[in-house]
Amino acid sequence: MRLMMSTTPPLLHWLNRFQHGVQRWLLNWWYIFRFALLMLTLAVTPASYRRDQRLAIARHVVLASTTNVLWFLLMAALVSLILIRIVVVTALSYGLSQYALEMVVRVLVIELIPLTAALFVALRVTLPDGLEFAQLRASGELAGLEGQGVDIVRHEFLPRVLAGLFSVWLLAAASCVATLLLAYLSIYGFTPWALAGYTRVVGQVFNPAVATILVLKIVFFSFGVALIPMASSYHDGSGAAPASRRRAAHSLADMLRLISVLLLVEVVSLMENYY
Amino acid sequence: MTEPTRPPGTPQSEAAPYTEALLQPEAPPPPLTRAVPHAELKAALLIILLAVLACGSMIYLMYARGAFESTQQLVLVSDDAEGVAVGMDVTFSGFPIGRVSRIELSSEGKARLIVDVTRKDAHWLRTSSIFTLERGIVGGSKLRAFSGILTDPPLKDGETRTLLVGDASAEIPRVLASVKELAENLGNLTASGSSLDTALGNVKSATDRLNGPGGAMGLLVGNDKNAAQLLERTNALLLTVDKLALKTDSLIANADRRVLGKDGLMDDTQATVRQLDGLLADARNSLKKMDAVLVEAQAVGANARVATADLGTLRAEVDSNLRRIEQLVNDINRKWPFARDTEIKLP
Repeated sequence: MRLMMSTTPPLLHWLNRFQHGVQRWLLNWWYIFRFALLMLTLAVTPASYRRDQRLAIARHVVLASTTNVLWFLLMAALVSLILIRIVVVTALSYGLSQYALEMVVRVLVIELIPLTAALFVALRVTLPDGLEFAQLRASGELAGLEGQGVDIVRHEFLPRVLAGLFSVWLLAAASCVATLLLAYLSIYGFTPWALAGYTRVVGQVFNPAVATILVLKIVFFSFGVALIPMASSYHDGSGAAPASRRRAAHSLADMLRLISVLLLVEVVSLMENYY
Repeated sequence: MTEPTRPPGTPQSEAAPYTEALLQPEAPPPPLTRAVPHAELKAALLIILLAVLACGSMIYLMYARGAFESTQQLVLVSDDAEGVAVGMDVTFSGFPIGRVSRIELSSEGKARLIVDVTRKDAHWLRTSSIFTLERGIVGGSKLRAFSGILTDPPLKDGETRTLLVGDASAEIPRVLASVKELAENLGNLTASGSSLDTALGNVKSATDRLNGPGGAMGLLVGNDKNAAQLLERTNALLLTVDKLALKTDSLIANADRRVLGKDGLMDDTQATVRQLDGLLADARNSLKKMDAVLVEAQAVGANARVATADLGTLRAEVDSNLRRIEQLVNDINRKWPFARDTEIKLP
C-alpha cells in the first residue's frame, strides 16, 4: 500500500482525493435529504402523535422555545433599537427621513431577524442536540436503546426536529412583531396618531410577494436548522477516526452545512425580493 | 425508508420502561430528555401564541394593504408609467387617499393606472380635480391629486382622468443642453478674433489715444493734427463768439434804454394806458346815459302799448257807431227814397 502511494503521480493522487471528497459530500447531502424525507413523512403521519410521542414532542417544544424566546426577544430588541437608531439618524442627516421606516422594516424585519432567529435556534438547540446524539451514538447508548426495541427515530429524533422547526417559527414571528413595535415607538414615540401612516408604509413594504417570500424563508431556515444537525447524527458512526476527533469534525461540518444552507436561502430570498 | 426497524426477535416488553417513562409527565423522564412539568399545557400555550402571532400579523398586513377598505376606482391615463409601481399611494394634501392597484397598457399605447380610492376619502376628488405624477431627483415618484374647487360635483366611480407628468430629472438634459449652448456662446464670445475681442481691442486703442497728447479730442477727430487744427478753429470761433457777445451786450443795453429808459417805449405805453383808462370811464358814463334813455324808451313803449290797447277799444266803439250810422242810413233810405237809381230791372 505504502509502495503504491509513493509511486502514484501527485496529480492522480489529488484527483483521487478530490473524487473521494466529492463522493463523501454528495453522500452526506443524500443522507440529509433522506433524513428530511423520513422526518417529514413521520411528521404528517398521525401515528407519530400518540400520547407518549405527543408528550415527548411537547417536552422538546417547551425546552427549545420557552427560555430561548425570552432571551432572543431581549437580544433582538437591543440590536433592533441600536440599528433603528442608526438608520433613523443617518436617514435624517441625509434628509431622507421619510424612507427610514421602510428601510428599518426591510432590513430588520425581512432580512436580519429571521436569519438571526434561525442561527440562535441552531446554536442553542439543534447543534447541541446533534452533538449530544453523536456522543450518545459514539458511546453506544443509542445502539443500546435500539437494541431494547425503542423507536428512537419517533421518540428522540422527530420531537427534536419538530421542536427545532417550531422554535424557529416562534422566535422569528415574536421577534418580527416586537421589532415592528419597537420601530414604531423609536420613530414616533408613545403616540397613536402616527399609526395610520405607519400601517400604510408597512402595507407597502409587505406586498404579497414579499410576505410570501418572508414566510417561505422562515420555513426553509427552520428546515435547515432542524434537519441538518440531526441528519448527520442519525447517519454518524461510520467513520474510523477517533471519537474525540469525530465529535469535533461532526459539529464543525454540521455548522458549515447549516450556514451554507442558510446563506443559500438568504441569497435566493434576496434575489426574489430585489431582482 | 431508512427508519430503523426493530431487530427481529426483540421482545415488545423490552421497550416498556422507556414508553412508560414517556407517558408519566411528573415521573422521571427517559434518559435523553429533561423533565418538564405540564409540558403539554405549555406546548399548547406556545402553539396558541404562535398561531395568534401569525394570524394577527396576517390580518394586520391585510388591513395595511387595504383589504378591508371599501374603494372606488379611478383610471389615470398617462403617456409614460415609468416610476409608478403597484401599491403606490395617491396623496391629497399629503394624505394618502388611494393606491395604485393595477397598471396596464391601453389600446392607444398609453399607460392606464387603475387606482383604488377609499370611499371615505373619495369626496376630496371632484370633477375638476387634476392628477400629477412627480418624479423627483431623489426618492420615488409621487402621485398627487389637487382639487381646486371643492364645491364641484364629486368624481364618479370608474372615471378616467389624464395624468399630468412633472419630471424633475427630465429637466436635467434640457438644462445641460442650455448650459452647453451658453458655454459655447461664451467661448465664441471670448475667442481670439471674436467681436468682443475686437471691441476690447478698440477700447484699448481708444484709451491709449485718450492717454495720448491729443486726449479725448484726438480720439474724436481721428488724429492729433486734426485735433490741433480743430482747437485753433475753435479758439477763433470762440473769439468771434466773444465779440458777438459784446455786440449783443451793447444791443441789449440800447434796447433797454429805448424800452425801459426815460421817455422810452414803456413810458409811452403807460401814458397810453392811462388815456385808455379815461376813455373807458367816458364810455362807462355814456353807457349809463344810454341806460337812462333806454329806461325812458321802455316807459314810452309801455305807454304806447297802453295807448294801443285804448285805440282798440276806440276803434271798436267807432266801428259800432259806424254800423249804427250805416243802419240808420239804411233805415232812412228805406223810409225815404233817396235812391238815385229808380229804374226797375226785370229779370
